[in-house]
Amino acid sequence: MEAIDSSAELELYTIPAQSSWFLWDDIHEIERREFEEFFSESSITRTPKVYKEYRDFIINKFREDTSRRLTFTSIRKFLVGDVNLLQKVFLFLDKWGLINFSPSLNDNDTLSSVDNAKVEQGTPAGIRVTATPNSLRPITAPPLVEQRTVSGVKLPPLTSYSDVFSDSKKPDDVLLCGHCAERCDSAFYQHNKSIVNICEKCFKNGSYGGENNAADDFKLVGDSAAALWTEEETLLLLESVLKHGDDWELIAQSVSTKSRLDCISKLIELPFGEFLMGSTSGRLSSAVPTEDEDTEQVKTDVQEHEETETREENEDEDGPPAKRKRVALISDSDSSLMKQVATMASKVGPSVATAAAKAAIAALCDEASCPKEIFDTGDYTDSTVDRADGDKDTEMEEQREEKDGPQGLPVALRIRASVATALGAAAAQAKILADQEEREMEDLAATVIDQQLKKVQSKLKFLDQLELIMDAEEEVIEGGKETILQERISVLQCAFRSGVTKRWDHTYVK
Amino acid sequence: MKALGSSGWKGPVKFRMPTAENLVPIRLDIQSEGQRYKDAFTWNPSDPDNEVVVFAKRTVKDLKLPSAFITQIAQSIQSQLSDFRAYEGQDMYTGEKIIPIKLDLRVNHTLIKDQFLWDLNNFESDPEEFARTLCKDLGVEDPEVGPAVAFAIREQLYEIAIQSVASARESRLSKKGRRGSDHGSASKASGLSMDLVKLFSFKSSVVRKRKDLDVYEPVVDLLTSEEVDALEAREERHAR
Repeated sequence: MEAIDSSAELELYTIPAQSSWFLWDDIHEIERREFEEFFSESSITRTPKVYKEYRDFIINKFREDTSRRLTFTSIRKFLVGDVNLLQKVFLFLDKWGLINFSPSLNDNDTLSSVDNAKVEQGTPAGIRVTATPNSLRPITAPPLVEQRTVSGVKLPPLTSYSDVFSDSKKPDDVLLCGHCAERCDSAFYQHNKSIVNICEKCFKNGSYGGENNAADDFKLVGDSAAALWTEEETLLLLESVLKHGDDWELIAQSVSTKSRLDCISKLIELPFGEFLMGSTSGRLSSAVPTEDEDTEQVKTDVQEHEETETREENEDEDGPPAKRKRVALISDSDSSLMKQVATMASKVGPSVATAAAKAAIAALCDEASCPKEIFDTGDYTDSTVDRADGDKDTEMEEQREEKDGPQGLPVALRIRASVATALGAAAAQAKILADQEEREMEDLAATVIDQQLKKVQSKLKFLDQLELIMDAEEEVIEGGKETILQERISVLQCAFRSGVTKRWDHTYVK
Repeated sequence: MKALGSSGWKGPVKFRMPTAENLVPIRLDIQSEGQRYKDAFTWNPSDPDNEVVVFAKRTVKDLKLPSAFITQIAQSIQSQLSDFRAYEGQDMYTGEKIIPIKLDLRVNHTLIKDQFLWDLNNFESDPEEFARTLCKDLGVEDPEVGPAVAFAIREQLYEIAIQSVASARESRLSKKGRRGSDHGSASKASGLSMDLVKLFSFKSSVVRKRKDLDVYEPVVDLLTSEEVDALEAREERHAR
């Protein structure tokens, strides 16, 4: 006898909630109802034992490899019996989710699926948190004393290597005022034509040194205090953006050391900053041109964003972005990441959203091992969401620790980890809401059932009363009958006594 | 007439195809004027008779056959239908009849070999559904394979149903009378039934023995064009 022995190793199988009634040792009511022919004892080929063997065999066969879709044809050769009946058992198990229940198996059109939705592998394009070209730019501003933290192994530069870009883009490593030879630790002014820098003080004093006489030859470059963003400040910034959305005043207050504009410009520089900007397009494009203290970098960046944002603005005219039914432009950075995720999740079915969320977490974890540890994902089950919720607190602490120390962890990964945390939190929230909805629905259903029962009960009472009344009437009528009978008897007696003949009834009637 | 169901011996039922839909398999093989028309399909016997002529006309038009075919096609279909109807009034014993059905057919480039068990008493069975599942699970792309498989199953079921009518008539004539023996005779008609009693009894398992697995496994082969031509040539020679 071919026995599938799965008891040797204790594996945990996760089965869908709707099939939790299933027991190995017993046959449930649901099965009895569905397969009456097995339980009616009318045939030798259909007995409960046979049914149980079919069922157990099919389920065990599926569990040998839960990742592949079990087909009917692959198991039918193993079982003796009418193939139509076997197919019925197979379809029953499939429908109830006792086999073939993993979402990844439902890619193709199945016998049981009604809707032809295709689940895409991998993350939808809109959710993907990818590196933008300047993502490797370190969080700390390059010019000053600190070393650049670059991801990956730091190799010694080749002899022919010349860092052309750093020269043109970034100011000198050590900023000394061209005039008074002191460190320019705050704003400094750079001459247009030469690379001479002078500090603020010298600029104010008017001593430009050398032949640099024209004041307007100088441009304010880099408010260094503003350009320097520590990790705590960045973290604060991200949190406050997620919390406050567009409210830059509040954000500037939370990130106490940075002005409003600094926050905005810093956010743009961050790899996904545009996503988090919400509907600031209007505000930003108006705010930026009026500022003439911008840094070079910020200006070029902002100009690019201005263009994209004016383009989006034109399309953005009717209604808040999150509610629009645009399909093609969903990947544009016209709304916050959370809003985008919400829009997409509302457009697709729940199973698609689940799969997308899982794939997103998987993709994020694949990209680096650090977030993987944070997320502690072993196998992707429905409990990932719950765990993500529970892990969130520990994650935040871990992240704080890691961010505080310069441990060589690439910055982009941390950012991604925090984004993933945000997604996990949103998912947990959604689950809680869904549970609440369910409970409410159940309550309402129970109330409706109660009312129906009450209706039925009152009707029954009414009928009971009617019955009583009828009984009483019956008695009365019985009594009436008796009286009439009595009278008849007495009349007859009188008639006989007075000697009337038998055929008296005709005359009596008259 | 008792309710049809897949339960045990219930007594004779009126003859019909033991499937969910009462469809008759019709096979056509007509030669005339140097052209040969071969076809196999299922027909619903409750369709009105004039449908046959309409069908014949449409087929000839679609396949651009000479019009002499119309009458021949119509005649062939009608004779097969009347054969079927001749059986319809009679009783058949279905009993506990689980029969092996064998498939060994070639459709265009696909070769299918298979064997499986079918319960003749299961009036909810559906050859078309079975064929659909088979093609889907085995990844058969040719859309003509499914209907061909269903037809082959139906043909075999039809033949066995006819046999059961004949055996029912015999047993009535011989006046056995007792219910037990009738059941025995009906089930003896299928060679498998003796094994059934053993197999479905308390001690043994319905999981098939390893040595039988190969027989009951479906095999699908995709042939190349040359192999198809060679096979066709061989079939022609056998037919002559």
